[in-house]
Amino acid sequence: MELDIYQTDALNELGNIGAAHAATTLAQMLMSPVEMTVPEVKVVDIADVYQYIGDEISALVVFQIQGDLADGGYIVVSMPVSAVIELTNMMLGTAGSDRELTEMDQSAVIEIGNIMISAFLDSTAELLGIVMLPSPPALAVDMAHAAFQSIIAQMAADVNEVVIFSTELQSDAPPVYGSIFLLPNPELLREIIRLLEALVAT
Amino acid sequence: MEKRFFVEENAVVIGIGDYRVGSFPMATVGLGSCVALILHDARRSVGGLAHIMLPESRGSPTDRPGKFADTALCALLGEMEALGCTRGSIVARLVGGASMFEYSGTSLNIGERNVEAIRSLLQGRRLRIDAEETGGKFGRSVIYRPAEGGRTTVKRADGICFDL
Repeated sequence: MELDIYQTDALNELGNIGAAHAATTLAQMLMSPVEMTVPEVKVVDIADVYQYIGDEISALVVFQIQGDLADGGYIVVSMPVSAVIELTNMMLGTAGSDRELTEMDQSAVIEIGNIMISAFLDSTAELLGIVMLPSPPALAVDMAHAAFQSIIAQMAADVNEVVIFSTELQSDAPPVYGSIFLLPNPELLREIIRLLEALVAT
Repeated sequence: MEKRFFVEENAVVIGIGDYRVGSFPMATVGLGSCVALILHDARRSVGGLAHIMLPESRGSPTDRPGKFADTALCALLGEMEALGCTRGSIVARLVGGASMFEYSGTSLNIGERNVEAIRSLLQGRRLRIDAEETGGKFGRSVIYRPAEGGRTTVKRADGICFDL
């Protein structure tokens, strides 16, 4: 699978729109500005995924992309455990930063993931004129790579590469840091590229 | 991209679907549903590690034998026997095969099927499993050192670190 420079640019732009909407919803929840890095699209060999996603312990909220394409791939919000605790402390008025994640923290991160990902998919799907909906979320608090690897095992039986599409979001007060990863399956990716090229042509 | 647990060990990291055979230290980072299959020949202090992703290749030819349990076992045994290892001195170790997500409806849990497939393949080849750290709901990293008597260290997501 190779993406030419125009396709990469178009996907970057799509990611920009999605991530900007996700960042806005996060900023509203935090009542604080959220900065975002320019999205990056990479075609990664499955054997090299560990170079991009390490084994640090994170909270990962995972959604399957549904809608016009029944099984479009996955979209993931990943936050370090410390950032999740900052978020819950702020949202629920709890205190203490050096603790394990409670059930309350877990519900909060799932809810935040839900809101951010809905904004991401809504805005990109609207641009493309298709329906993309998140499945109910699944949560893993674990080594980030172990969770990714399980997702890849689910989607990549006959392919050896995945397209990883990542943006980082950051707020200073409270100090919250997280990433959004999009792992489209080949059909969704082809469809997105086709629709983007049609958009540019008109 | 930093903070790699096994970096200080100079181990060769075996990515998803890869495998290696030799006497150098080998590691995998963050196993979820994947399984690290280690074959160790104690007599020659060499061995191999495959980072297996799925239980079976379904007969389709693959340029990546390490990816599937059946093709990975063939590839490991083939290379080890080429180095002079004999079936009788090889023991197997399994790490990984967790179920990372609880999901209603769709199942993201291939871990258990991976472990079962590997166990039955090993049995079919009359290879003994001498240690195993599989299942559960958490990720693991592993490092295997063929030259140090095959010492195999597992680090779990909860921070617990131990030798198999």
